[in-house]
Amino acid sequence: MRYYIDSCTRCGLCYDTCHAYNGIPKREYSPVGRAEIVRKLYKKYTRLSGYILPYWGDATKFDEPVMNQVYDAAWSCTGCRRCMVHCPFGIDTGLIMSVAKQLLIENGTAPEELVMLADTAVEKGKSIDQFKDGFKQVIHDLEKDVQAKLNLQSADGLIPMEKQNADILYAGLAGAHTIVNPAIIFNAARENWTLSFFEAVNFGYFAGDPDKAEFIAHRIINEAVALNVKEVVIVECGTAFRIMRSLMGKLPFKVSSIVEVIHRYMREGRIKLKEKNVAEPVTYHDPCQLGRNAGIYDEPREVIRTIAADYREMSPTKEMNWCCGGGGGLVALDNEEFRIKSAKPKKEQIVETGAKIVVTACENCASQLKTINSGYGLNVEVKYLTALVCENLIV
Amino acid sequence: MDWNRVYFFVMVPMVYAAFIILIGGIIFKLVVVLFSKKFRGKLGTYPKILPGAIGVIKDALLVPVAWRKDKILWFFIIAYHVAFVLLFIGHLELIQEFKLLQIIPHQVFLGAGAVGIILIISVLYFLLRRFRSPWRDISVPEDYILLLLLFLTMVIGSHLHLAARYNAAGFDIPVEDYRSYLSSLVAFNPAIPAGIAQSPHCVLVALHIFLANLVLMLMPFTKIIHMAFTFLSLNLQRK
Repeated sequence: MRYYIDSCTRCGLCYDTCHAYNGIPKREYSPVGRAEIVRKLYKKYTRLSGYILPYWGDATKFDEPVMNQVYDAAWSCTGCRRCMVHCPFGIDTGLIMSVAKQLLIENGTAPEELVMLADTAVEKGKSIDQFKDGFKQVIHDLEKDVQAKLNLQSADGLIPMEKQNADILYAGLAGAHTIVNPAIIFNAARENWTLSFFEAVNFGYFAGDPDKAEFIAHRIINEAVALNVKEVVIVECGTAFRIMRSLMGKLPFKVSSIVEVIHRYMREGRIKLKEKNVAEPVTYHDPCQLGRNAGIYDEPREVIRTIAADYREMSPTKEMNWCCGGGGGLVALDNEEFRIKSAKPKKEQIVETGAKIVVTACENCASQLKTINSGYGLNVEVKYLTALVCENLIV
Repeated sequence: MDWNRVYFFVMVPMVYAAFIILIGGIIFKLVVVLFSKKFRGKLGTYPKILPGAIGVIKDALLVPVAWRKDKILWFFIIAYHVAFVLLFIGHLELIQEFKLLQIIPHQVFLGAGAVGIILIISVLYFLLRRFRSPWRDISVPEDYILLLLLFLTMVIGSHLHLAARYNAAGFDIPVEDYRSYLSSLVAFNPAIPAGIAQSPHCVLVALHIFLANLVLMLMPFTKIIHMAFTFLSLNLQRK
């Protein structure tokens, strides 16, 4: 943070690199505009110039108008870090915004929806034994879907839980598709796996509360250690994956995205896919936390190119790809109008490809892409990568 | 008012104070960041094409992000920083003769005046672009004041050089007097030679040094610290 606060020369190269600014050209939606709001507070309270000559850096103090600006800045940022690749100093505005979110928590003005979801996740972690039986019953019902897809005689044990020494602990989300589709793939690949009791999503991180974020992440880490698994595989959820892979430090197991695991199975011949089976033009939206922030570019493309006869690349792509505008917890807030406007560059990317199917590997991205689809009348189908794989799996 | 005492203060104690604050300030800033609690996570972005140190140096020195987005800004960034390096070399030659620097034989001050002109034009570009949107909306007083200080320092310094080189208006301070003055500072035996102290242009020399002192003192505590932090933050981006 010290580098990011002090190094910025306000050159403005990052100005229009944010999707939000592209859709709504207001200063506080530009990366430098967002960062300056926090920077001015930081200077006021941690710099000598902030005390004796606040005019120098336009240092500001905490008051309601400033905290409203902090709210607008923090809750228009998805943490996609596209600005970072356009900054000569590599300033991570997403990280600065996580500090802004923490300031809002201390100020009591963080979004209530996310705080509540974080608290619920924390409570689940503290009293998991009370949830286990009910959860197991729900999972038992889902096993029938896996059985049907794979034409198996029995549904029992298709979604194992609390399996000691499994190779993989898979963490899904609340949606059934995030458990059923990966379970189909794991069973098709004859994987030695087990399902986590906990959802991978980290509402503590979204809300900006580092203590809750740490606790929520450790629910899965502790479970993985207790079960002695070799690898933790994260559902199609960008932030959940990035937290576990990049932000929790060194862990005693490998962390993979389900995308990487599917690619691995395909490469090793453990699953077989119907080649060029999808005739309609398909494009892929790189979730920022998988692509730009984790380097997972080639794996989903190789899987899609195997299945789709007409794959079309968005432009710009890879680290220059536009964020969909739904990450960072934004998709959980009551801000659909903002998200549609801020998704203007993503909409243009999709239209330019002419694709009829947009595949992605992130729950928030999928939700946001559906909002973009309806908001702009694009008439495209949004599909999870796992769903595409399951539909084209040779059983 | 005894202006000689004012000139002496600006050209001797204030210079020492400026360098102490500059070097001490940079060390302080580096110590604070390097010894602070390390961030546990990784902040890298992908893809990472060049290996760590080479990639960092390439990004810092060639500024490819500026080349991609704004070629005119890129041009002035490179011109300014290259000229600044030459400015530094030129000031070294004002302390004493360095045979190594005379590999390409040249008359001191290096650049025949071009270094100063390039710096002035570059600084003017950086300053004037801040008066229009959207850069005006994100600029703070520090941005304008630093550029004005640099501009004034460079204009006076450029004048001192060009006037001496082309003997304009009877300009009478030779390189030897600057070398006598600056080498006495380096040897901690300060003395302002009569050639400077009794010159009618002494006020310009003092003003140039006064403004440069201010810039040096401000350097560690303003965004100019990016000269040290850039490499460190770009390194984080490659981890």
